[in-house]
Amino acid sequence: MLQKLDLLESKMPAKLPRPETAGRGRSLPSESRDSSRKPGASIISRDIQRRFRRLGRTLLLAVGTALSVQGFAGAADEGDAAKLEFFERKVRPLLVANCFNCHSADNKAAGGLRVDDHKGLLQGGNRGPGVVPGDPEKSLLVQAIRQSDPKLRMPPEFKLEDEQIAILEQWVREGAVWPALELPEDLGKWDANYEALRREHWAWQPLQNSAIPGVSRPEWVWDELDAFVLARQEQHQLNPVADADRLSWLRRVTFDLTGLPPTPAEIDAFLADATSEAHATVVDRLLASPAYGERWGRHWLDVARYGESTGSARNLPYPHAWRYRDYVIDAFNRDKPYDEFLREQIAGDLLPHSSPEEFDEHQIATGFLALGVKDVNQRFKVRFEMDNIDEQIDTVTRSILGLTVSCARCHDHKFDPIPTTDYYALAGIFQSSDHCAGLRNKMGGGGLDYYDNNLLLSLASYPAPTTSTDAEELAAAQAALDKAKAEFERIRGTPEGAELAPNGRPKQQVARQKMNRAQAALNALSDPASLGAVAYGVREAKQISDTEVRLRGEAEKLGPVVPRGFLTAVDVPGTPAVNREQSGRLELAHWLSSAENPLTSRVMVNRVWRHLFDRGLVSTVDNFGVTGDTPSHPELLDHLSQRFIRDGWSIKRLIRAVVLSHTYRLGTSQSPAELAIDPGNRWLWRHAPRRLEAEEIRDAMLAATGTLSSARPESSPVQSLRVIEMRNNGQESQAILRTAKDSQHRSVYLPLVRTLVPPSLEVFDFAEQGMVTGSRDTTTVPGQALYLLNDPLVRKQALRYAEQLVAREDWDDTQRLREAYLRVLGRAATPAEVDRAGQFLDDYAAISANVLAESFAEAASAESPPESEVANVDTVPVKPANVPDPAANPDDVEQTEEVVVEEQILARDPRTAAWASFVQALFGSAEFRYLP
Amino acid sequence: MKNTDSTLLPIVDAPLARRDVLKSAGIGFGSVALAGMLGLQQQQVRAASDAEAPRPLAVKKPHRPAKAKRIIFLFMEGAMSHVDTFDYKPTLQESDGKSAPGGGKLVASKFAFQQYGETGTWVSDLYPNVARHVDKLCFLRGLHTDTPAHPQAVIQLHTGAAIASLTRPSMGAWLLYGLGTENQDLPGYITINPSPNFGGAVNYGSAFLPAHYQGTRINDNGQLPNLRATSPATLQRKQLELIQEMNRGLQASPGAPRELEAVIQSYELAFRMQGDVPALLDISQEPESVREAYGVKPGPQGSFARQCLMARRLSEAGVRFVEIRQPGWDHHNNLHKGLQTNAKATDQPTAALLADLEARGLLDETLVLFGSEFGRLPTAQGPDGRDHNITGYPMWLAGAGVKPGYSHGTTDEFGTHAVEGRMHTNDLHATLLALMGLDHELLTYHYAGRDFRLTDVAGTVATEIFA
Repeated sequence: MLQKLDLLESKMPAKLPRPETAGRGRSLPSESRDSSRKPGASIISRDIQRRFRRLGRTLLLAVGTALSVQGFAGAADEGDAAKLEFFERKVRPLLVANCFNCHSADNKAAGGLRVDDHKGLLQGGNRGPGVVPGDPEKSLLVQAIRQSDPKLRMPPEFKLEDEQIAILEQWVREGAVWPALELPEDLGKWDANYEALRREHWAWQPLQNSAIPGVSRPEWVWDELDAFVLARQEQHQLNPVADADRLSWLRRVTFDLTGLPPTPAEIDAFLADATSEAHATVVDRLLASPAYGERWGRHWLDVARYGESTGSARNLPYPHAWRYRDYVIDAFNRDKPYDEFLREQIAGDLLPHSSPEEFDEHQIATGFLALGVKDVNQRFKVRFEMDNIDEQIDTVTRSILGLTVSCARCHDHKFDPIPTTDYYALAGIFQSSDHCAGLRNKMGGGGLDYYDNNLLLSLASYPAPTTSTDAEELAAAQAALDKAKAEFERIRGTPEGAELAPNGRPKQQVARQKMNRAQAALNALSDPASLGAVAYGVREAKQISDTEVRLRGEAEKLGPVVPRGFLTAVDVPGTPAVNREQSGRLELAHWLSSAENPLTSRVMVNRVWRHLFDRGLVSTVDNFGVTGDTPSHPELLDHLSQRFIRDGWSIKRLIRAVVLSHTYRLGTSQSPAELAIDPGNRWLWRHAPRRLEAEEIRDAMLAATGTLSSARPESSPVQSLRVIEMRNNGQESQAILRTAKDSQHRSVYLPLVRTLVPPSLEVFDFAEQGMVTGSRDTTTVPGQALYLLNDPLVRKQALRYAEQLVAREDWDDTQRLREAYLRVLGRAATPAEVDRAGQFLDDYAAISANVLAESFAEAASAESPPESEVANVDTVPVKPANVPDPAANPDDVEQTEEVVVEEQILARDPRTAAWASFVQALFGSAEFRYLP
Repeated sequence: MKNTDSTLLPIVDAPLARRDVLKSAGIGFGSVALAGMLGLQQQQVRAASDAEAPRPLAVKKPHRPAKAKRIIFLFMEGAMSHVDTFDYKPTLQESDGKSAPGGGKLVASKFAFQQYGETGTWVSDLYPNVARHVDKLCFLRGLHTDTPAHPQAVIQLHTGAAIASLTRPSMGAWLLYGLGTENQDLPGYITINPSPNFGGAVNYGSAFLPAHYQGTRINDNGQLPNLRATSPATLQRKQLELIQEMNRGLQASPGAPRELEAVIQSYELAFRMQGDVPALLDISQEPESVREAYGVKPGPQGSFARQCLMARRLSEAGVRFVEIRQPGWDHHNNLHKGLQTNAKATDQPTAALLADLEARGLLDETLVLFGSEFGRLPTAQGPDGRDHNITGYPMWLAGAGVKPGYSHGTTDEFGTHAVEGRMHTNDLHATLLALMGLDHELLTYHYAGRDFRLTDVAGTVATEIFA
């Protein structure tokens, strides 16, 4: 066994040294910069891991045993056996019986203090450390149980017996010994299976150079990539179908690149262009259009699990998230090199910048790390932090690497060679960074309790605040708040607090309101979000350090410390080691964006391919691990990845090459022979029709009727929300949904509060906002048909367009029909269709004259607002954020549920009604929904 | 049990005439009132107009007489710890702290077990209400599956296989393909609150089967938007005819999307759903006593109760396959509290569902399936947790076609490995199909040059459990 392992190792020495850990194997706990770390803490260094592997199981077990005996995190050594027994027999029962009800993980942590956990006691709660080992006089726990201070009396209802107090005093005096955690046997164990996986699994092997394959029909090959495709087809006795006609190709490429239909003018121009460059001209026009970034930026927002609120049990808005959205759209439009795009999102704050604008852009980019789902109602800060770090690790590794690293939070990854130590090597990097989403955790908070304006990134390039803040004024506001806070704390939970104030409300409530008002006044003067422009993201933390393995993923159960670093399974030569003085995000950014990281380019090329062919070369686009799919065309994937890197990580160039290829030009028709061999079209012998995504369906309806605004809104409706809990039936939520319904902006700009996805997006399988979504579901369910038949948005668009058509008095119905077909379906109507539609219009108008008589009368009596009066609802007045009217504090005022008033969408006359129904039928047709 | 002469609906060969379906579907509605004027109009119009359309979801004759007509699957997502709930292991209870044969430290359940019913079946204190029905339950105690990871195991439980390169149809889709559905005014396959994780829509998808067999997802507050028709039925039908004509035109083209038939069917179904479904989904129409029995309340705590009640209403109305879900069973830690929380959310509603089905005479034709994608180990994972176990775990069935108060198979003395009556996921599927009257070897779909089955190339029917 040993020999075998040695042999295996000696074959691949080049892979083992990990530059980022060089020379750190000898680091000792005393060298750690983390002053809170306890003596005796052990470090599993990467060097030791290497040694594990080299020396095999025997040594490994020996070291493992040493680890568990040595213990960590304030654990007792062997000499402490008696003290430990004292703790178990005398101390713990006292704590359980008298303290756990209010100060433990299973119940609550009153005052932020937990006494069921050693670290909890040492760190203490809001008042400070609960226990100072060896010093009872400085230990709040001892003071509290002595009950000499009337403001600090525990337990509140009675006093412990003197001998019980003495036991606890003795325990603290003797060092507050706490038993060590039991280390899992397999921690730090290097699974032999991992070695094989590292060597064998395709995804993390270096990119391969493959020769362009020879094919029997070289004239079919327009781009090298076609040769790879055709070679596979020939191998499987498949023949590609005929090319798509020009109109179909135009519709396909226009939607694929911009998410919008081609306009009649664009159709005419393309059909009239007889040059050999006609297709390239179209592609270049589309890539240069701002609509390109709006579509491809949205693909990245899916992957970045973008959302404008925390989601989870307490849903709080992220009023400034839209800056990240705009950053992503701009990055795609400017064709920011993908490697740079990644570096900015991981470590923008640590990159050099040459202007305030660039500084801001870099900061905003790090919003990628901050906009995930959060449970702010988490009681314990350490759990809140570790959950957020887990969310960051999951997002970063799945989006960029296609790996499910967060599986290794609690245990070594069961399928991929990702030990839990790798996970905590990454966790240390994120823990050394402040998570700036403007939020803190608090159990059962209300109002602005969760809002923390210290956790915001101030932007530099925006005009300085108009209100010049007077230092004196500020001090006064702070003093007023301190006073109000003190008063509230004084009467909180006291009989006095329950007394009624002159206004008939409990004094405690009045005091809370006063405190809220003072907070609001101070915010108005000092909140960076009120004074200037802010963004979410990350910044370097004050404390930079490695972090401990958390046993079974439990935030408080500290195992050995792991040096910060990257994944051991993915070998990236030339990556700099983590700078000990920094978080390590900069080096992580380089590791992720290196041309030598084979996953990064493969994953992104595959994402692009998936959006253009409706299926990736690797079908599991977010999972390149062992449980994921293997590539259908591995040589093609590597060929494109290398081109991508060679072309300066230009996504536009990659897309341009693919959409101008012969493979992309294929028609959708199916031949029985090919269908019999490859019904799933794995070998790309045809172009699979793609159902439009939710945004495309809505945007195309608005575009067809001429209502779609091509302008970018200034921000987001969410920006005007205060950072208080949103309830789904509450007024703010209903207002957001109304705004979404009436918006004329592109769908990418709709407010995207988690759990409040606009129905027009939700019904067509919008991305799950809680996680990386590289490939949305495509379902066909009756809810979609119901939407197209009944939804006010659809009906309104149809009516609006019908009114426009009817108003064209210079046209006859045939001209109107031609125009409608061209606008909605992107093609001319056939004579048969014109006849059929004419018949429909006549029939419909005749029937509706009877059955809709009442509604026509109603429409006539109602004053129909002229088109111009339709408010652009995205310009809702922006209240200064987080300067609340305290009366709106949810603690004080019940949020009432809004009665939803159904909108009346009435045609003026039978003819308009018929046209509206016809336009709606075009929207409802499968042809509108599926790209040829 | 006699199933061939059904009291609810005859299983016939040809598509049912419109009127017959309506009549039959009406039987089960109970207190559900028909919708208002518009809804009635909708029905009158469709009675006249849809005799001609082909109906892929019309009731089809099963291979053999069916023992059950419908399935309600109560999916405990995340892997419920069976040794703490339904799989009592006295030896484990006595072996707390000892080494397990396969390594690790055994941990006895912290929950007490008692015997219930005439069968004296042991159930832990976590499920006192379900325990009262234990004589109705038919336990499959020897289940095992292939992959100890949730995504793969959940997908395998729903589709029979978890191979990334080829997604398979879900079992509900196979049932619709094989049997059609009794009520043409409702989706035949409904999944309430499906997980966005663990494969997402794959778990109720149709894969290579025609897309109209996929499940319809709804949420647990009973709201499906846009269910109210916004134009009079005559006019809407006119519009729908135009849409469908365009759709059929596209369908006839050589490059038609494969989902087109599903699009067409979704419109027909949507049109019909506007009639009865709004009322059907509205559980506030149930008497207070019924809602109380299920433990219906607003908010996340009442979710499973609402799902159970909706499942009964939908199943009663003829939905072939209804799946409901309780997530959060993945107790690597916080086992003790976590089990209490989840059992509290599921015990009363599950028991109420069984009682309600029985009281309405529906349990004779409805098969209830309860369980997880795999089980958990009897050994400790940390101070308060258990790790995944794919080598032995139970699920239970109740109702149509299965022996009540019966246990098939067993795990070893610690609950680790299935030792008797071993059933792989393929065997479970074969058995479920058999109960529904389908032969899993005959229910095939030709795709990519071969015949596919829910059970792939395996599957043995556990006839021992048949009543």
